[in-house]
Amino acid sequence: MSDSGKDIWPTEIKLAAGKRALTIAFDDGTSFEIPAELLRVMSPSAEVQGHSPEQRVTVGNKRNVGIRDVRAIGNYAVQIVFDDGHDTGFYRWAYLHDLGRHESDHWQRYLDDLAAKGLVRG
Amino acid sequence: MPAELSRATVLEALKTVAGPDGRGNLVDLGLVSEVVLANRKVYFSISVPAERAAKLEPLRLAAEAAVKKIGGVDSVSAVLTAERSQGAPAAKPVAGGAAARPAARNAQIVVPGVKYIVAVASGKGGVGKSTTAVNLALGFQAIGRKVGLLDADIYGPSVPRLLGLSGKPQILQGRTIKPMTGYGLAVMSMGFLVDEGTPVIWRGPMVISALTQMLKDVAWGNLDVLVVDMPPGTGDVQITMAQQVPLAGAVIVSTPQDLALIDARKGLAMFQQVSVPVLGFVENMSYFICPSCGTRSDIFSHGGARHDAERLGVPFLGEIPLHMEIREKSDLGTPIVAAAPDSPHSAIYRDVATRCWAALEGGTTGAKAAPRIVIE
Repeated sequence: MSDSGKDIWPTEIKLAAGKRALTIAFDDGTSFEIPAELLRVMSPSAEVQGHSPEQRVTVGNKRNVGIRDVRAIGNYAVQIVFDDGHDTGFYRWAYLHDLGRHESDHWQRYLDDLAAKGLVRG
Repeated sequence: MPAELSRATVLEALKTVAGPDGRGNLVDLGLVSEVVLANRKVYFSISVPAERAAKLEPLRLAAEAAVKKIGGVDSVSAVLTAERSQGAPAAKPVAGGAAARPAARNAQIVVPGVKYIVAVASGKGGVGKSTTAVNLALGFQAIGRKVGLLDADIYGPSVPRLLGLSGKPQILQGRTIKPMTGYGLAVMSMGFLVDEGTPVIWRGPMVISALTQMLKDVAWGNLDVLVVDMPPGTGDVQITMAQQVPLAGAVIVSTPQDLALIDARKGLAMFQQVSVPVLGFVENMSYFICPSCGTRSDIFSHGGARHDAERLGVPFLGEIPLHMEIREKSDLGTPIVAAAPDSPHSAIYRDVATRCWAALEGGTTGAKAAPRIVIE
C-alpha cells in the first residue's frame, strides 16, 4: 500500500558469537556479512555523518571494534550498540543493503579517507 | 424474484453457500461474523482458519455472488478473516531470555491483548482529526469490533470533551490504570489527569513518558483495534509512536484546502519513512450543504485529499461534509456515530472503518514483519 512495501526488506539479522560482524538476509534472496568495523565507521549517526557531507567524520582505530547489542527501532531500522560505546546510529534496511552490496566500494573509500587524514585502522 | 435488501436476506443468501469443506453452509457453521449494510453496500466477513485463507478465495467470491443476487445491492465486499488463534504482532507477548527473540526485544512498547493499533494523524491542527478519530473508533465498534481510544494529544486532549467524559480513571492494583468507558469504548486521555482549563507545559521527555504510560500501564484488555488520536505535526509523540509502538497502520485526515494538504503530505511521508502502512486519507469538511437553501458550497475547496491520495498511491477512505450536526454533537459529547447511528454521516464513518478493517484483516496494507534479530 505504501512505498515501504516495495522496498528491500531484511528477514533476519544475526550477530554471530564472535560479535565482530552482522549477517543480514534480505527478502530478495541476498545475504551479506558486514564487519563491525565497517558498520562502526559508516554509522548513519550524526556523530559520524554530521549534518552535511563536509561535516562527515572519518573514524580511526576501529579495527577491533565489536558489537554489544542490536535493537529493533520500530519496523524500519536497527540500532547497533558497539563495544566502544557508540550507539546513536539507526541503520535503515536500505542502508544496510547498500553497505552489504557495495561493501568493497565502502571499504576502499574508508581506507582512502584514513590515508588522506593520516589515520590508521588501529 | 429478488428479495429486498436487509440483514436477514443477506443471511438467507449466505445460507446457500457451502462451508469451506463443502459441508453445511456459511451461516449455520457460524462463519459469518458480521453483516454491515450502508447505502446499498453490503460488507461481511467470513472466518476461516488462517492457514487456509489463501486457498479459500473461491469461497469468498461465491459468497459475494450469492449476496449480489439480492435486489437493491450496489456492491458487496466480503473479507476472509483469519481465526484469532493466529494472533497479530501487537498481541504477541514478549519472549524473554531466549537467544533468538523476536524483533520486539528491547524498549519496544508491547500492548498485550490489542490486535491492531491504528494512528489517526494529520499534518496540521484544526482539521477535525479528533472528531474523526472518535467517530472512526465508534465506526469500528458499529461493525462489531472491540475498540479502545487513546488520546495521544498530551498538550490539547480533546477526547474527554468529545465523548462527554469527566472524572479521574481508577487505579487498579500496582500502577495499572483502568481506562474510562465512553459509548462502549475503552478510553484514556491526558485530559482525565489534568483539569480541562489547566495547560500541560512540558518538554518532550515528559510527554514521551506520559504517552508510554498511557500505552503500557493502562489495562486495555482484549481489543480488536486501539485507535490513537495523534497530536498534529511530526514531533516527539510521532517519533515515539513510530519507533516504539507496533503500529498496524495510520489514517491521515485533511481538509481539502491546499494549506492543510501540504502538511498532510508531510504526515504521509513521515509514516512511509518509518515503514508504517498508511491505510488511507480521509477528507474532512469536504463540502457544505446550506441547510436553508440546499446550495452546496465547497468552503475549503473539494476533492483535494482524494486527488492527493490518488496521486500519491494511497487509498482514499471517504469524504465527510462540514455539517452543523457533526460539530454540535461533537461539542456536546455525543458523537454522531453513537448519537445518530442512522444519519448519513454516521454511515460514512462506518464505511471508513469498514475499509480500514478490511485492509488490516486482508493483509493488503503492505505491512511486513520486522526481521528476526538473532544474537548468538
